[in-house]
Amino acid sequence: MNRGGEWTSQPEGRVETALAGLAGPAPGDFAARVLQRVGVPRDRYDTYLHLDAPAGGLYVAYGVESVTGSALGGTLPGPRAFEEAHLARTGRSAIPTTRPLPGLRTALRTGRTKNLRIDLPELTEAERAALDAVRTIPRGQLRPLAWVAREAGLAGSAAVTEALVVNPVPLLIPCHRVTFDDGGPCDLRYGPIVGAALRDAEGIDDDLVGLARSGTVFLGSDTTRIYCHPTCAHARRIARSHQVPFRSARAAHEAGYRACKSCRPIAA
Amino acid sequence: MDKTAEPLCERLATDLDDGFTELVRVHASAVHAFLLRVTGNAAEADDLGQEAFLRAYTALQGYSAERRRALRPRAWLMTIAANVWRNHVRTCVRRPVAGARVEDSCESWPAAGPGPQERADTAADRAVLVAALARLPERARVAVVLRHVVGMSYAEVATVQGCSVGTVKAQVSRGLGTLRELLEPEVALLREVTM
Repeated sequence: MNRGGEWTSQPEGRVETALAGLAGPAPGDFAARVLQRVGVPRDRYDTYLHLDAPAGGLYVAYGVESVTGSALGGTLPGPRAFEEAHLARTGRSAIPTTRPLPGLRTALRTGRTKNLRIDLPELTEAERAALDAVRTIPRGQLRPLAWVAREAGLAGSAAVTEALVVNPVPLLIPCHRVTFDDGGPCDLRYGPIVGAALRDAEGIDDDLVGLARSGTVFLGSDTTRIYCHPTCAHARRIARSHQVPFRSARAAHEAGYRACKSCRPIAA
Repeated sequence: MDKTAEPLCERLATDLDDGFTELVRVHASAVHAFLLRVTGNAAEADDLGQEAFLRAYTALQGYSAERRRALRPRAWLMTIAANVWRNHVRTCVRRPVAGARVEDSCESWPAAGPGPQERADTAADRAVLVAALARLPERARVAVVLRHVVGMSYAEVATVQGCSVGTVKAQVSRGLGTLRELLEPEVALLREVTM
């Protein structure tokens, strides 16, 4: 141990820096307990916590019974930044807590976030419709922008991209499962590196992304004469010898194939 | 003085509950750190912190909008926290735990010194410093903690301590001097052991 003279070698500064190091954050739920004790009604503020997730974990803020915002840990410098961003967007303070919203941990672990209540009053009607459509994309699957636009009942995919850029609840609203219409990943919210990490964690097959790069938009089976999105659970069951790639819905239709009723690709 | 103060005070002036939530969000850590380093006990710091914020809320209820707008939140909160702590110390002196009934005696255990949690929190080097901090006289301890742990300006510390900036500077400097003196024997001892 070479600690000799630690406090005295630099008389000015050593003790001061050591003292500054003593300022730690308060215990996880101190602020939340203060508000509870003082009696501020629970619906006046949001609480948040940091949960395990790919790409640096996930900050999730929630009100009384619904999620109001989230951010990937890898995209933020720290919890303070999340608090500030949440305040700027919703006008509500996010208070750290240690008790997650019931069902939140399970939803994150299983990736099934469809039943989680998400409340985003600050968004427009169209944005909310687009994000609700994004939420119906199953775990481990990809859907193109045009599909999201149709499911949301929106006229064009421009409205969808606008909603994806602002998506205030990344990961829980799985915008990493949206692709451009040519099949390439569409990571508008947090860039391709984070998007790739999220897709990787869901086991989205690189082969299928590669398929998209070669121009294949749909995958058909020559035994059933049905075509799907390549990541659809039914498409993944097609044996390699029976796979028939298509470049467009029209091509599939002309070959006498019908659209899958499960992943509902856009018909010609 | 404090970048976050202006929007915070505006919120306090327009809506007490909203503003207070924001006040807690921004300053809870600082208040807790101050009380923890002044008392040297996590459980006590927690209790006194809750008490301090409760007092702050009650006080704010009686304040007019102008007064809330003119508030300097951090210094104001630290003043309350320091007073809560001083009251607590006085109560402890007047009603020493030894005088408590037998069945109450278990409640006095946490105050007996650093518990396992505190010891784990302040590993090795920090433990030495925390112990030394606990031996400073009260006023100097408050001044040193506010200036160097919480990181407040001398002017802010002066508001909390209710004295002039010069006095605070003297308190801090003398406190640091005592700290160094307290830390030196430890170092000398360590040198003896290791050599």
